Amino acid sequence: MALRGVWQLKKLVVSFSDWGGSSRGIRAFMESHLPAFKEANPQLEVDTEMIRGQHPHLKAFYKNHNDRVVCVKNMDPEEILLHATRLRNALGRKVIKLRTRHVTKHPSVQGTWTTALKY
Amino acid sequence: MIFRLFGLFTMHTPIRRCLQALTRQSQPTLSLFKDPLSLRLLSSAALLNHNISSPLLPIFTNSKPTSAFGQWHHGRYFSSSKQDDHIKEGGTHEIGDEDDDSDGDDDDDDDDYDEEEGDYEDEDDDTVAVSSRKKVYTEEEKEAEAEAIGYKVVGPLQKNDNVFKPYEPAFAVVQIGSHQFKVSNGDSIFTERLKFCEVNDKLILNKVLLLGSPSQTIVGRPIVPDGAVHAVVEEHALDAKVIIFKKKRRKNYRRTKGHRQELTKLRITNIEGVEKPLNELVEKPSKSAKKEREKVAVSA
Repeated sequence: MALRGVWQLKKLVVSFSDWGGSSRGIRAFMESHLPAFKEANPQLEVDTEMIRGQHPHLKAFYKNHNDRVVCVKNMDPEEILLHATRLRNALGRKVIKLRTRHVTKHPSVQGTWTTALKY
Repeated sequence: MIFRLFGLFTMHTPIRRCLQALTRQSQPTLSLFKDPLSLRLLSSAALLNHNISSPLLPIFTNSKPTSAFGQWHHGRYFSSSKQDDHIKEGGTHEIGDEDDDSDGDDDDDDDDYDEEEGDYEDEDDDTVAVSSRKKVYTEEEKEAEAEAIGYKVVGPLQKNDNVFKPYEPAFAVVQIGSHQFKVSNGDSIFTERLKFCEVNDKLILNKVLLLGSPSQTIVGRPIVPDGAVHAVVEEHALDAKVIIFKKKRRKNYRRTKGHRQELTKLRITNIEGVEKPLNELVEKPSKSAKKEREKVAVSA
């Protein structure tokens, strides 16, 4: 997730509950993997937030003002790390089907072929 | 004693196979078993030499205890729980002792077939992790080989160098995996997920099939050896979900499966190996640029 060298993920909010059982994985993640994740990504602003009575989730805020929410209830810390890494690796673009696999502004270098062309 | 030897002589193929296994592994000196008669003679001699403890299985007792049972124990085939696979290494000897009471012929057949499979299963069981990607590429050489198959070389990470140049009128046909793209400077490409590179990594795509510019075209046979295309990994993301729906009408068969393909977005930064025109072109191709495109000179 880096458009021309600029990281696109601005902020990652780790929401958890200290009582609920569905937050057990994310609490373990916060102790084991989160410090390493923070050090590996110094450009990223990582916040932890406690929300009681709700399932845990990861909120990602991107530079194009998009946000993505991933619910991590009942997940292992390794899975949560995978989801966090995926959020960091992605651009903030909308998840829709790709139109083309090749995006270019200059489709032709030697001139577009026409039937009237003579070599 | 004589009765049991007589029984051995009457049972042909399983005994011959297991005797071959015995001679192959534990007794390298007894390698001449072309004739069944000679084989039986050798086996009988071998059996007589080894003091046979259990009457039903003369082969499995003292000669090769660990190797036979190490190959035999496949927890998956007998239990549905994956915990037994982890117990495998610690519990080989315990379960091996239990196998003494079972039929020897079945063990013989499975041993010959499963010698190679056992090693692969060990590797798979040791690396059971949360995610589906279990293989750990410990050596960097392996990564280099895999990259060569995928026609990309990872360079160092991005530093403070200006890699993103303005548009240059040059293109290249580059192959990544099994897909080919006609790329130019500043394009972005979605490929299948490239394993050994992170975001903001520099790549060099070295399988270049065609290079072109307004003044020159180079056709590779099949690759241009000096051609290189530099790219930067922009993102690793999942595609939108595709629902795979299968139905057979009037047969009560309906399946729904979701699939998200893992993609990598690359931004092409530089194309090397072609001579590019010196004068900087404006955004819109002018008439002078079209006149420069003469008959292409093909050089291999």
